[in-house]
Amino acid sequence: MDEEPERTKRWEGGYERTWEVLKEDESGSLKATVEDILFKDKRKRVFENYGQVRLGMMRHLFVVIDTSRTMEDQDLKPNRLTSTLKLMEYFVDEYFDQNPISQIGIIITKNKRAEKLTDLAGNPQKHISALKKAVDTTCAGEPSLYNSLNLAMHTLKHMPGHTSREVLVIFSSLTTCDPSNIYDLIKTLKGLKIRVSVIGLSAEVRVCTILTRETGGTYHVILDETHFRELLTFHVKPPPASSSSECSLIRMGFPQHAIASVSDQDSKPSFSMSHLDNSSGPGLTLGGYYCPQCRAKYTELPVECKVCGLTLVSAPHLARSFHHLFPMDAFQEMPLEEFEGERFCEACQGELKDKSVFICSVCSSAFCVECDLFIHDTLHCCPSCIHSQSTS
Amino acid sequence: MLVYFPYDYIYPEQYSYMQELKRTLDAKGHGVLEMPSGTGKTISLLSLIVAYQRAYPLEVTKLIYCSRTVPEIEKVVEELRKLMEFYAKETGETNKLLALALSSRKNLCVHPEVSSLRFGKEVDGKCHSLTASYIRAQRHSNPSQPICHFFEILHANIVVYSYHYLLDPKIADLVSKELAKKSVVVFDEAHNIDNVCIDSMSVNLTRRTLDRSQANVETLQNTIQRIKEIDAAKLKEEYRRLVEGLKEANVARETDIYLSNPVLPDEILQEAVPGSIRTAEHFVGFMKRLLEYLKSRLRVQHVVQESSPQFLKDIYEKVCIDRKPLRFCAERLRSLLRTLEITDIADFSPITLISHFATLVSTYSKGFTIIIEPFEDKTPTIANPVLHFSCMDPSIAIKPVFERFQSVIITSGTLSPLDIYPRILDFRPVTMSSFTMTLARTCLCPLIVGRGNDQVAISSKFETREDFAVIRNYGNLLLELSGIVPDGIVAFFTSYIYMENIVASWYEQGILENIQRNKLIFIETPDAAETSMALEKYQEACENGRGAILLSVARGKVSEGIDFVHHYGRAVIMFGVPYVYTQSRILKARLEYLRDQFQIRENDFLTFDAMRHAAQCVGRAIRGKTDYGLMIFADKRYARADKRGKLPRWIQEHISDGSLNLTIDETVQLSKHFLRQMAQPFRREDQLGLSLLTLDQLQSEETLQRIAQIAQQV
Repeated sequence: MDEEPERTKRWEGGYERTWEVLKEDESGSLKATVEDILFKDKRKRVFENYGQVRLGMMRHLFVVIDTSRTMEDQDLKPNRLTSTLKLMEYFVDEYFDQNPISQIGIIITKNKRAEKLTDLAGNPQKHISALKKAVDTTCAGEPSLYNSLNLAMHTLKHMPGHTSREVLVIFSSLTTCDPSNIYDLIKTLKGLKIRVSVIGLSAEVRVCTILTRETGGTYHVILDETHFRELLTFHVKPPPASSSSECSLIRMGFPQHAIASVSDQDSKPSFSMSHLDNSSGPGLTLGGYYCPQCRAKYTELPVECKVCGLTLVSAPHLARSFHHLFPMDAFQEMPLEEFEGERFCEACQGELKDKSVFICSVCSSAFCVECDLFIHDTLHCCPSCIHSQSTS
Repeated sequence: MLVYFPYDYIYPEQYSYMQELKRTLDAKGHGVLEMPSGTGKTISLLSLIVAYQRAYPLEVTKLIYCSRTVPEIEKVVEELRKLMEFYAKETGETNKLLALALSSRKNLCVHPEVSSLRFGKEVDGKCHSLTASYIRAQRHSNPSQPICHFFEILHANIVVYSYHYLLDPKIADLVSKELAKKSVVVFDEAHNIDNVCIDSMSVNLTRRTLDRSQANVETLQNTIQRIKEIDAAKLKEEYRRLVEGLKEANVARETDIYLSNPVLPDEILQEAVPGSIRTAEHFVGFMKRLLEYLKSRLRVQHVVQESSPQFLKDIYEKVCIDRKPLRFCAERLRSLLRTLEITDIADFSPITLISHFATLVSTYSKGFTIIIEPFEDKTPTIANPVLHFSCMDPSIAIKPVFERFQSVIITSGTLSPLDIYPRILDFRPVTMSSFTMTLARTCLCPLIVGRGNDQVAISSKFETREDFAVIRNYGNLLLELSGIVPDGIVAFFTSYIYMENIVASWYEQGILENIQRNKLIFIETPDAAETSMALEKYQEACENGRGAILLSVARGKVSEGIDFVHHYGRAVIMFGVPYVYTQSRILKARLEYLRDQFQIRENDFLTFDAMRHAAQCVGRAIRGKTDYGLMIFADKRYARADKRGKLPRWIQEHISDGSLNLTIDETVQLSKHFLRQMAQPFRREDQLGLSLLTLDQLQSEETLQRIAQIAQQV
């Protein structure tokens, strides 16, 4: 983890009472317990997500970023806005890495208004450049939860039923300025099966609690920047698809990448369909992906063909989404005293020191907490299982 | 003993509370128990006492549960219903307990005609006309007339009603006098019980009251005249009864059927009503003279303060009214009203008030004082004479209750310091305990702010309260907090005047405008309708995510009866120490009395009173274990040991040395951190074993040891 260099200087940090962490009393009513709860929570996440549930592979997600006055607060360094945008870039990257055939859109809200920064699209580059540009926006006024949700809803409600419709709100302010009753909107959102999750940057706000509870989303409040990043990572994983969402077969095209070099006489430079609408992008290119149905050219995948509406993906994209369908079973937790065998983590080879170890149910090798999380979050397969497979 | 508890889990402190309660009942004594609000006092009380009743039906026959407001009574009834259902489920038998909740007729009356009336007094009057004793007598002969269930109190095993039914002599006489001796009386939310006692025994007379009594007397006279023409025998019958005296009442009291009424002292019962007021005309004449005298007393230019004997002497000299007839005044008037069959009692409340005053003033020579003020202190130019006949000794009103009933339990969330209650109420408890809240996470965060960012000490004490710097720092504190606390903030000031001053000053300094950028502001006023409107809008603003601040006053309506659950009160700020207005003559007299009679120093009592109100205000925010809230004491003086030590133990134990005398920015940092910690997901499983116990856990040795530490004997 690159946590160390991010640490702020002592004098920049908040008024901390570090001595209190050390104190422990019998009734267990201290900060240490809160951290304990958080740890359990971490594990819980692994458990919850790795049952045999159907996950939505195609997601449509709107991220609402609050850019109101409170975003200038400096409790995240250098300020909330910069920090959030930086983390959002990371989030967009991760999101497309994990959900290659999904789309994302960004909405910002300030001065009681909401506007789209980017439309729903599957191109990470576009979003990231928009986010980079947004760093200079001035934060002013109050956010409007109603307007931003309304805006997101108007786009999301046209999305097909087999995809997920989600909104993630990064909410810094403690208030919202709404033109009409937000509870009506929440009802509508619920009816449209739009799932709204909120990450609060300052404290628990009632209206968000209700909003997330009603629409089936999650509500978290950050503790610090690392926790913020963790919470965002949590939203990278697709949510379980509701059983009522329709199933349908989707036509997909797997275009071949035609490589052409300048030296090749036959090749002619041509426009990519995706860049037609914005003049700023690169114009003529040589090679690219050609839609198997209509031969339209695209430079990047995945994309929906502008001509014939076919979803174009590449095989590796599908493979990457594949693990969502067959998730790995959660490791079994066991107290360290009961564990017999060598006290080394199978993965990192470090000594097992925590009070519990985690056992793979297939090959029964032991792992430490950190490796357990790493295996489930990133690798999606047990290293020792694979090891034994290859030898046999 | 087997106690049925209608929930799956029990809090450790509830268990401990029940143990203490049982000890009290076993000893047949009185108890003072303090347990934080929101930890299920009510259900612990009910389930234990009901179980006790079942186990020892001869020891405890009846539970009398007194609460303060109608919503609280409703809550009790709700819990009771749950308990009864659970009993029915567990034991399989239909339960034999009859529970009864009483409130004013306005709230409870089921009579279709009567319940459509809107004002309390009208309802009372109408109801009386339907249920008065002579009409009920008719009903015995004619069963087709519907019976009002209000009169079934005698048969109930559990009675739930308001304090006044037991403490106020005027009502207690009607409702509670026939309750059995082997009852357990519970006073819930009893932190103000001394004031209730005092109020129930005090009388305030204004010129208006006198004028209206004058009219009453005239009506009486006319009615007597009329009755005399129609039915002279009736008046004669009454006369005969009065000669015989109130022997009946005396017999009843000696055979221990009735709760004694403090307005009706023992000596009266043994004597006949004196001749001078026996006939109706004479009595009316007597009342007239009394009224004239009182009127003349109200025509004063300066403040008069005197004791009851002085008053009696004066009245004897001026209008030749003796002490004895005065003492019979209340009884005589009641008898007259009964004889005349006047159904509309409500109209006669002024004259009844006067008669009570007459009886009280002639009965008690100690513990009362008479103060006549020609004008209010605030408006010295407008003549508004008031005669305060104020009780200074709360034990007078509550004495019969302690003497009569086997066990009296006084309980509340804020009773600290516990030892002062037995002293001012003059009784000897067998148990005095304070319980803490066991928590899986520290969900309350009391902070004492002593300085502004400019290091100027902040305090509401008299010398500095007008200080510009103090007011500005208070404003900054509220401003900063409004930016970091979500949803609702409740701020309490020490008085309406102080609040007005500060808010006006904030407005001039532009602080108010800045606060309004973060949250809406609502203000409590002395007007009840306005306040409830403000409260409603405040809650709406919290609900909608707009966020709001409610500026209110300690000792006001908001501080006493309204709960700010969850988002309705994420932070409570107490601006200053809510000392009572010390220049009031009534208070001065009372302090003097306390010092002379109970050896309680003035300062001790004032601090005690201020701190219990502060604790009350601040306690509004936490109403349960899943709730959380900031408690901010914005006054330097809270940091002192004598103030801090008087807070309830469940608040005190969370005040570490590090949270004393903070500056505003330190407070903000701590609050921010606290709010983030508390916003983390919190589930029931996290509480299990720590602050929620199952039956198995309860039986384990280790838990029992831990529970033993919860209760602190005083």
